[in-house]
Amino acid sequence: MGKNDPQKIYENIREEARQQDQSRQDKPLVMVGTATCGLAAGAMQVKEDFIREIKNKDLNAEVIEVGCIGHCYAEPLAIIAKPGFPPVCYGNLDDGLVHRLVEDFLAGDDPSYEYAMAALERNDEFPTFEDFPRGVYEEKLILEHCGFTDFSRIDSYIARGGYSALAKSLSGEPDHVLAMIKEANLRGRGGAGFPAGTKWEACLNKSGDEKYVICNGDEGDPGAFMDRSVLESDPHLVIEGMILCAYAVGASQGYLYIRAEYPRAVEHVRHAIKQAGEKGLLGSSILGTGFSFDLEVFQGSGAFICGEATALVNSMEGKMGMPESRPPRLTDQGYRGKPTVLNNVKTFAYVPLIIERGPDWFKSIGTPERPGTAVFSLVGKINSTGLVEVPMGTTLRQLIEEVGDGLPEGCEFKAVQIGGPSGGCLPESSLDVPIDFDSLHEAGAIMGSGGLVVMDQEDCMVSVARYFLEFTQHESCGKCTFCRLGTKHMLDILTDITRGEGDLETLELLKELGEDVRDGSLCNLGRTAPNPVLTTLRYFYDEYKAHIEEGRCPALVCRDLILYYIKPSKCSKLCNVCVGSCPTEAIYTRDDGLKAIDQEKCVKCDNCRKACPTEYDAVLRLSPPVLPDEKERKAK
Amino acid sequence: MSEEITITIDDQNIKARRGEKLLWVALDNDIYIPHLCAIKEEGRPNASCRLCFVEIEGLERPVTACTRKVEEGMVVNTRSPRIDRLVKTGFDLLLSDHNLNCRQCPANRNCALQVIAKKRKLKLKRDRFKPVDRKFALDDSPAEFAFDRSRCVLCGQCVWADRVEAEVGAIGFTKRGINRVVTTFNDLPLADSICTECKLCVEACPVGALYYKEDKKA
Amino acid sequence: MQLMEGEKEEILTCVKEVLGENSKTHENLVPILQQVQKRLGYLPALAMDEIAAGLKVPAVDIYGLATFYNQFRLNPPGKHEVKVCMGTACYMTGGDITMESFERRMDINEGETSPDRHYSLERVACVGCCTLAPVAVIDDKVEGKVTPTRVDGIMLTLEEGREETGINEEESGPEEGDGNG
Repeated sequence: MGKNDPQKIYENIREEARQQDQSRQDKPLVMVGTATCGLAAGAMQVKEDFIREIKNKDLNAEVIEVGCIGHCYAEPLAIIAKPGFPPVCYGNLDDGLVHRLVEDFLAGDDPSYEYAMAALERNDEFPTFEDFPRGVYEEKLILEHCGFTDFSRIDSYIARGGYSALAKSLSGEPDHVLAMIKEANLRGRGGAGFPAGTKWEACLNKSGDEKYVICNGDEGDPGAFMDRSVLESDPHLVIEGMILCAYAVGASQGYLYIRAEYPRAVEHVRHAIKQAGEKGLLGSSILGTGFSFDLEVFQGSGAFICGEATALVNSMEGKMGMPESRPPRLTDQGYRGKPTVLNNVKTFAYVPLIIERGPDWFKSIGTPERPGTAVFSLVGKINSTGLVEVPMGTTLRQLIEEVGDGLPEGCEFKAVQIGGPSGGCLPESSLDVPIDFDSLHEAGAIMGSGGLVVMDQEDCMVSVARYFLEFTQHESCGKCTFCRLGTKHMLDILTDITRGEGDLETLELLKELGEDVRDGSLCNLGRTAPNPVLTTLRYFYDEYKAHIEEGRCPALVCRDLILYYIKPSKCSKLCNVCVGSCPTEAIYTRDDGLKAIDQEKCVKCDNCRKACPTEYDAVLRLSPPVLPDEKERKAK
Repeated sequence: MSEEITITIDDQNIKARRGEKLLWVALDNDIYIPHLCAIKEEGRPNASCRLCFVEIEGLERPVTACTRKVEEGMVVNTRSPRIDRLVKTGFDLLLSDHNLNCRQCPANRNCALQVIAKKRKLKLKRDRFKPVDRKFALDDSPAEFAFDRSRCVLCGQCVWADRVEAEVGAIGFTKRGINRVVTTFNDLPLADSICTECKLCVEACPVGALYYKEDKKA
Repeated sequence: MQLMEGEKEEILTCVKEVLGENSKTHENLVPILQQVQKRLGYLPALAMDEIAAGLKVPAVDIYGLATFYNQFRLNPPGKHEVKVCMGTACYMTGGDITMESFERRMDINEGETSPDRHYSLERVACVGCCTLAPVAVIDDKVEGKVTPTRVDGIMLTLEEGREETGINEEESGPEEGDGNG
């Protein structure tokens, strides 16, 4: 290969990037988190407020957009980096707070620590994120820079050492990259945990020079958004990983398959690809070597099944996203019938780090058989919602109680759902299971793409199982009998149960059918679809029984099994809030001034219960849906 | 010709060519395995009906015979409690979405589902699953044949005939999941589509969804 | 659906342009459909037929793709598109209640467009903003914590500019549909 020294070329690029970056550090920098979640919380308004306030004060400061730092519970967020101070992160921003920060910190020299969440660098005055309780357990590898770096500038990535793994690798032989990935025992982060090195090697060993590298960014699990976050916040990390993979297996073309629902990720990645091309890090003769690799974005069209590898490839070829039976594997016969490596976003993101810091470093994190970290999106009944990255082997209990800061007051843990529609619901007794592919599988869940939903006594396990089944049934491609019809019947049975219909035999049929759908379906969507049902049947059987035997939903969720009732002894004549809150005019004022609900009109929307002032708490949900006797109803 | 090998199916030694698909080897040797969607000429089988499950020694799970290439020394069982359970469930699922009015069906006594039921001693009625609730309009627009989607099992035989044998491209699969259906462009009646009424699709249909009007029973 | 003469021209021109900008291979079908829909707002039968002819693939296969993927629509969307997220977190915090509130206020069902084409209402699987659940996407702008009361507020802004249909017109809200910045 052409021996223009890639390292030397890279050093020049890096020096340039450093200077660019340095010149920015002379003035204060305000970084507003504008990933999709930040935007939804009003980050754009915050950005405009900063710009306006800075202009009003005629200050020399720059406002830029950054991605997601994972502390979603405190959005909108911003980081202020002012020379002479540690960079400080502020959460829950609004116009008042922005005004104050600009006046006190940017114009004055008071970092207003009373409003700060954390500093980003160790200092004598204020704690950093690492000092948070979750900091003890968190180990950020691929999320390290998400939200702290300007995703729109490749220079920020290069200045921190980005693309040096590529430069280093291009000076050596491709085998070396493969050897490091194998040595590091990197397992695919798409859910199943297949060893990446084995996959790459299979592709490498196929003859022919037309090979493809595809990044699976079709993150469709409801409740998971870590791939979106990485693509939006640190796109070059993924791109560099893909180039390294292409070099290792001998591919010259790659694609990032990003789902339709992530327009911002598409935008950021396209921009990043363009910049990498301009720097000579993508395209022909990368860093002056004989190695060429092009990268394009392929936008999905909204079909969950396309996260399945063979379906994804079909959809890229202009067909319906239908899975195929395997073998052949994609590494034998993939995109355009050619050998193809397909890995998840996170898998590629680990690659530059492993090359740069070495397999031993990677293996020192997590457990020996499953090194590295796992990324979870924590949602549901948990205080610190957001993205977290913890070493493999951390227990679920540590993740929920320490990293996620436990459940909000008044919430009592019931279950944790892991792995989305392909995963399962685990009870309290499974909380000491260490997080890794195999242990979770044994418990009945899967690692999946990392969605983790914490549920409490107000969440109904039957309803949750039904929710996931409805999702998979809706997203089933319809190709094979078991998934097309099996999930349909499972859903119908579950719907009956949420209405209190059925008997214990129904539960037996549900279990049998679930097992057969698992064993008989063509692809992993169908094979894993029964997991939410099978795990809830296994761990929460009594809750199913309460529905069908007593017509009672213990969590007061299933709407056919509850009714709304205003308890006269708690209601006040002086209050009318519930009447106004009702969208169907079902609430009326009785002769005595107290309120009551017309059951015929009530749509059980829960508005009145939320609206009722806490000092009264008069709106109750009753299950089974039977009104108290007349004496009690007419009381007071 | 590729190399000749020997495999064992249900304790019978059978000669086959390496690379052939197990389903066809079995059928050619009069060993019955249920199937609806398999097409011998198709390079990459659909494997969508999920009825041709067999157990192969050394493999943990039952596999579909239509997708498995035979290998020297392979030991295959076409019956086992696990297979029978899967086939029964698959069959019951198909019946839950199939018009079971056999007496009125033009394909009565000439129906692939009836064959499967007879060979595997399965009941041709719904005992476990409720019928999938939906209505299809009968398409009797062609001169000599009609398409009753309430009998369609989505095996794809007609689509193959239309594409590969007739080279027309009038019908295909559309929609997704439980709504998946064989239809024409924009759901036009066949007579208004580019269909040439060559009737190869009618010949291919194993269940009486596509049938000759003259065979229609009262 | 009956097309006006002008609409027909628009569709033919659009397809011609899109086909001109892409290589006419089967592989490019999905991007081609995406681009046509981006310009026209939906995929009219005429457009699918033209694309089929241009790419020499059976028209029923294009129809198959258009009905397989969630993203494609066969009818023109409403002026305002509301998508209610039904991800796990949204579902658990009352996404179905949010959906029902929109259905009630718009007087249409999920998946429908109002007869005057002012609104369309859809569900989306997950927009990945789980911590702000329940979430709705209003004309590409993500809105968090969409409680029934919030739905009322959103509806006020969307009602603005609606043709005289006897539905409230007393309030004026902020600028409508300002995109996602």
